[in-house]
Amino acid sequence: MKNTIEVINGLKKEGLIKDYAIGGAIGVLRWVEPFFTRDLDIFIIPQKEVGNRELFLLSPIYEYLKNKGYDKWVGQWLIIEGVPVEFIPAEGLAREALENAIETEFEGVQTRVMLPEYLITLLLKASRDKDKIKIQMLLEQAEVNMEKLKEILHRYGLIDKFKPFVKK
Amino acid sequence: MNEEKIKILAKDNKIITLRELFEGKQKTRMEQAKLPFEEKIKALVDLQKIAYSWGKKKDVIIWQVKFPSSQTGKTVYP
Repeated sequence: MKNTIEVINGLKKEGLIKDYAIGGAIGVLRWVEPFFTRDLDIFIIPQKEVGNRELFLLSPIYEYLKNKGYDKWVGQWLIIEGVPVEFIPAEGLAREALENAIETEFEGVQTRVMLPEYLITLLLKASRDKDKIKIQMLLEQAEVNMEKLKEILHRYGLIDKFKPFVKK
Repeated sequence: MNEEKIKILAKDNKIITLRELFEGKQKTRMEQAKLPFEEKIKALVDLQKIAYSWGKKKDVIIWQVKFPSSQTGKTVYP
């Protein structure tokens, strides 16, 4: 994954994206015990945002990567250095999560990972069964700042959805 | 089920209750949560291999991730 991260860091260096953060299952994996997942979700702020952030142009990113030899697609995933990657433009809650992501290292390479409080909020928003399991894992195994989490949940109108996860 | 009553002969011939077994499991999970990110990715690749072969999930892509100490095989595409 080190090589994959280096390629993604290259996107930022080359000015194709403003910033990025690892989210999704691998973001969760950073904070909890290992579990099975298929892909690497990379939330990005594209360099070009058209019309009040209503249109995100990912084509310059794909074009750049294609020129670097990364042109193998499996379903919605682009294979970068052996890892299926999905680029997700970050807007609203996801953008705030990206902006508050922490710097971390993977085999000496700098990268950014979303914080547990934001991952829980994003998972709660999606609320599929597999998301609920991850929320439970984060609450049990990660150091979650509950005050901060509740503040985010309030702002995004998700506090009621969180109630089943609060231990009585 | 009374987790206090049920006894298990565990590792090193130690007798533990079912409750202690579950508590041990939880402790291990917490310890695994503290593993370095790199170790977790290694474990993930192993899980992908298991899902692909044993679990017969042929749509799973086994990540081709090179680690400093070892190297996994080629990426398997569905």
